[in-house]
Amino acid sequence: MQQQPPTSPDVSSAAKSPLFQSSTQYRNWRFSVEQLKATRAALNQASVAAIRNTFESDSPGSSSDVHFLDANEEHLLVKLYIIKISQLCGHFRFPEEVEATGITYLKRFYLKNTVMDWHPKNVMLTALYLATKTTNHPISLESYTANIPRTNASDVLDLEFLVAQSLAFEFAVWHAHRALWGIWLDIQDLPQAPPHEELQRIHDTAMQHIRTSRLTDVELIYPPSQIALACLSLAHPEIAAFWARSKNADTALEAIESIKRTITRDGDTPSVDVVREIDRHLKICKNPEKVVGSKAYLAKRAREEKEAELKRKKKAENVRKATEQGNPFGEVLVGQANLDDDD
Amino acid sequence: MDAVEKANAERQRRWVKDQKVGEGTYAVVYRGRELATGRKIAIKKIKVGQFKDGLDMSAVREVKYLRELQHPNIIELLDVFSSKTNLNLVLEFLDTDLEMIIKDRSLVFLPADIKSWMAMTFRGLEFCHRNFILHRDLKPNNLLIASDGQLKIADFGLARDAADPGYKMTCQVITRWYRPPELLFGCRYYSTAVDIWSVGCIFAELMLRIPYLPGESDMDQLKTIFRALGTPTDEEWPGHTKLPDYVSVGQFPRTPLRDLFTAASGDTLNLLSKCIIFEPRKRISARDALYHPYFFALPYPTHPSKLPKTAAQTAAASRPPDEVDGNVDPGGGAPAGVGKAAPPKKLKRKLSGHDLSRNIARKLDFTAS
Repeated sequence: MQQQPPTSPDVSSAAKSPLFQSSTQYRNWRFSVEQLKATRAALNQASVAAIRNTFESDSPGSSSDVHFLDANEEHLLVKLYIIKISQLCGHFRFPEEVEATGITYLKRFYLKNTVMDWHPKNVMLTALYLATKTTNHPISLESYTANIPRTNASDVLDLEFLVAQSLAFEFAVWHAHRALWGIWLDIQDLPQAPPHEELQRIHDTAMQHIRTSRLTDVELIYPPSQIALACLSLAHPEIAAFWARSKNADTALEAIESIKRTITRDGDTPSVDVVREIDRHLKICKNPEKVVGSKAYLAKRAREEKEAELKRKKKAENVRKATEQGNPFGEVLVGQANLDDDD
Repeated sequence: MDAVEKANAERQRRWVKDQKVGEGTYAVVYRGRELATGRKIAIKKIKVGQFKDGLDMSAVREVKYLRELQHPNIIELLDVFSSKTNLNLVLEFLDTDLEMIIKDRSLVFLPADIKSWMAMTFRGLEFCHRNFILHRDLKPNNLLIASDGQLKIADFGLARDAADPGYKMTCQVITRWYRPPELLFGCRYYSTAVDIWSVGCIFAELMLRIPYLPGESDMDQLKTIFRALGTPTDEEWPGHTKLPDYVSVGQFPRTPLRDLFTAASGDTLNLLSKCIIFEPRKRISARDALYHPYFFALPYPTHPSKLPKTAAQTAAASRPPDEVDGNVDPGGGAPAGVGKAAPPKKLKRKLSGHDLSRNIARKLDFTAS
């Protein structure tokens, strides 16, 4: 038996890089401002081209007067539904974690999908329902839909897989409000800490800025700790500076200036009239393949059916062949026959 | 169109299911391979359609945590894809688990072997706890063993983030024999210490080669614990009599661990005793356990590649690696290379089938409690 020298307990290399840096959020969901813009533009263009194609193949020339949404219009519509998530969460009294996660899911979803395929109304419901589960606050689907007017179970469940796929099944999200909580606990230990009531007020104001920040793209660009510090700085710049210095993180104070600017600039609620106009356009330019009962929808379904039929036939044929050929490997084929073939 | 669905289909094509190797309450496990490389993998297919609330919580938990955790002693989630109403988790393929190794009476464990398994368990667990994740179902059969001997913590279906202070968590977690007394008393505010208790039980089981505290019901579990370790006094564990489901199950005297673990060294018993302290706040943390003198004393831990292996493992390992790779049939027919490999495969299948029935029995047991 070979022996090794005592390895120093392996808290080693991984301990050196912060936990956040191994998260899926750090690795897969951070973008530069330009990347975000380019991603959305490319997605919009590809979607418009595909939908235009569907229109044309249905009846040539029919897409010429259609006003397709551009990336900005899509973005504004999504923003409106971010606000709806907050309203729903208030109604259900969901914890902050659920609300923040649902909003993140909605934003991430529309980095992979277009509103012209999937209207944010249902995606919003699904994203929020999924968030209740991933943050460990599950409620039954029945009580969820019972409390939302004109919504049934399939509105939520039909898209659950698509949403989960779009998120690449990366459900864990690091939130700025958690980081703010940590900073707030730290501050109470600083010699410069103001009296408790004032500190509470500062925290509450900073929390408001965090909620505002959820309407913006900052969580797709900056780490949660910087967003939290920016929001604290918006609430009380001196305290934020004290804290940063106590952590020897003066450089962070420069970094958060652009976050503060973005929150102030983009944190407004979109005008209802503008969004209503977008939604009106959307009724016309949405992908007909996604409209249940439409000609294009039925055509697509028929195509899929045919493919599935072919696949099933092929599978059945394989099984038949294998049986006919006899069975050189005994049990192995028995095992194969047991494979449930529902996919 | 539907870039997301296309991406999913592409992912799906990367992996091939070969053979069903097990079926649990909510998932079917297949052995398979990566199409391009022939690398062995396991696919855990979770049936989703049957749940009226959509994606099931165990699946959500498992995917959520395995997506984040990357560590040599935690099972690797290679990919996730969906097929119709099923969720498929592509996991690294692992030959066996610690329960099978413990039960293989032909194997002899040296103290250095046990130390090696314990070190790997604590490393994986320390990483979970460092990420504020409670596993909540540690037991030998969730500690899988790779062909190179590395131990990997698996099955995160009951895992969750440690709750903030003041927020309740369910106490209906952890398989009974590995469940700490605070959960048996209905404690709803608990910590990473619950996993440490489980590791203590596994540690003892490695030495005894039978489960250390096999209670027959929740009530009997408490009795079994107290019979082994003595009934805790209020001094040892302040406040435990005020826990929600506290019941007195009788007074048992404390017997020294030494009486049962006659061959163990002082360091060994010291670490074991710190894992199974009644008062959860005094139980050792995974990090401190890694710094415990036990791991620095002779004999040093056995290198993972030299650890005892089951017959199935040895047979699998004796196959030249290129034989496995070279004989892969991309058409997806009967697994090729059956010639030499057949006996170990049969053995493996028999073992997993056996293992499976035991799992189910234990699971039923667990829910009935």
